[in-house]
Amino acid sequence: MTPRVPDIGSPIDALVERMARDLARRVSRRSFLGNVGALLFSTGVPLLPVARGASPTPARPDAAADSGDPQTCEYWRHCAIDGFLCACCGGSTHSCPPGTEASAVTWVGTCHNPADGHDYIVSYNDCCGKSQCGRCLCNRNEGDKPLYMPFKSNDYNWCAGSKVGIAYHCSTARLVGVAK
Amino acid sequence: MHAPNIRRLVGVLLAGAFASLGQVASAQLPAEPAGAVEQLNQPSPHWVWVNDMAFFAFPDGKAFLVDGDSGRMLGMLSTGFSFTAVVPPRGGGVIYAPETYFSRGTRGTRTDVVTVYDAVQLQPVAEIEIPPKRASLMPTPGAQALTDDDRFLLIYNFTPSQSVTVVDMRARKFVGEIETAGCALVYPTGPRSFFSICGDGALLETTLTDEGTLAGHERTAELIDVLKDPLSEKGVRRGDTWLFASFEGVLHPLRATGAGVEAQPTWPLFTPQELAQHWRTGGLQHLAVHEGSGRLFAIVHQGGPETRKELGQQVWVYDLSSHRRVQIIKTRNKVGSIQVSQDSQPLLFACSLESNRLDIYDATSGKYLRTVEPLGLTPTVLVLP
Repeated sequence: MTPRVPDIGSPIDALVERMARDLARRVSRRSFLGNVGALLFSTGVPLLPVARGASPTPARPDAAADSGDPQTCEYWRHCAIDGFLCACCGGSTHSCPPGTEASAVTWVGTCHNPADGHDYIVSYNDCCGKSQCGRCLCNRNEGDKPLYMPFKSNDYNWCAGSKVGIAYHCSTARLVGVAK
Repeated sequence: MHAPNIRRLVGVLLAGAFASLGQVASAQLPAEPAGAVEQLNQPSPHWVWVNDMAFFAFPDGKAFLVDGDSGRMLGMLSTGFSFTAVVPPRGGGVIYAPETYFSRGTRGTRTDVVTVYDAVQLQPVAEIEIPPKRASLMPTPGAQALTDDDRFLLIYNFTPSQSVTVVDMRARKFVGEIETAGCALVYPTGPRSFFSICGDGALLETTLTDEGTLAGHERTAELIDVLKDPLSEKGVRRGDTWLFASFEGVLHPLRATGAGVEAQPTWPLFTPQELAQHWRTGGLQHLAVHEGSGRLFAIVHQGGPETRKELGQQVWVYDLSSHRRVQIIKTRNKVGSIQVSQDSQPLLFACSLESNRLDIYDATSGKYLRTVEPLGLTPTVLVLP
């Protein structure tokens, strides 16, 4: 028996996903946490996982606007990543290596792109179903929060939300949108 | 006598001497029994469990038992996938370990169990199947705990829905699952109560019935300012009070009373000058407390505002009554996890994820005593037997 996962193809999840993505584009991390987070938590509303794994891949920025080496920990998108970089494991910043499954839910960070001066919301989807890739281990913690704030915490194994279970392979750093 | 004759004589004498030695030596080494297996003695207060999540090989979690006095490894448990730590009951005799397995190593059917190990033979003697929901995370002491009477084992679940599995360790039976939506981890406050920390900074207090089912939930006010200065979740307990350090180095005592958990006055771990020098607490298990002396041990380092996971090379010791720092222990190596034995001549154990070694200090004088290495792959949480 594998962990229950959200049916990311359902209309409800599609709606939640669209709302979350719209919200993420419009508001900064701090105000998102301050307003929406406080509202949800203070009212005791159970937090529904935000399905990000199956959302369409954003258009890739041109090379000049996305400078840096995705195989290094210093690469700008990795500001809150914790794990093995999928770009070193047969995947890329936004794709999983062959034969693995992208986690449907994950944590997000906000990273500053020095090339274009924008802050981007970055979704750190884990790739799951195989043992650790073991290459390019990277732990950076900009904006990372404790385990009691799950969707800002990189200390969880986010393969918990995948169909194949918690076998963790590597982490991507997928752009979701501009934060401001 | 001619020289050749002397050489011949010496040769004969030496050959005879070695032959005699050989006979004596063989007589002193008796044959040894085949198939001998060691058993453990009664636990010493200076034993420690070094839990290893095997970060580079998740299916192969381990727990090493080490004697701090001799530096000997005494034995090991093989504890499965994404392992957090063993949970020794106060009563001794057995050791509990929440564990996860896949039928094909890294795939197939997932099975979660609480394995009960005999504490003398380190052999599994019972296995209690629980829902396959145990949180897979960077090990932290709050991921699992026994109630104060050892009756119920509480295990934090993350699927990513949040809940707590309750296991009756007396009946060795899974009791049920308690929803803790929006709230994480387990911090026991009595034989039938524990709290979890919620994302808005409130605490969710859970009370159990004598059967281990949910008796009630109470939600406190927002005791933690999660936006300005969140608490690290890596709290330690002294008596009825849990102690948590905030990101900015403020100690928050949370005291369990008959009326629920109350926030006690906070106090700073660092002076304004030390804060200006960027001293912070950091590490996977950055606090330890010695119950008898009321001393708090904290791993510290100098770093920026988001360096709470960085290792430190100093342990600052505080008196919990006066709130004063009373000692600085400079460690030989960078450390992220510490534990202190609870006897009157305590040892300080120190390790880190980044090196497979355990360093041992005299917790009173701070003197370095010894190192046990290599030890596992990625040691995480230190647990006293």
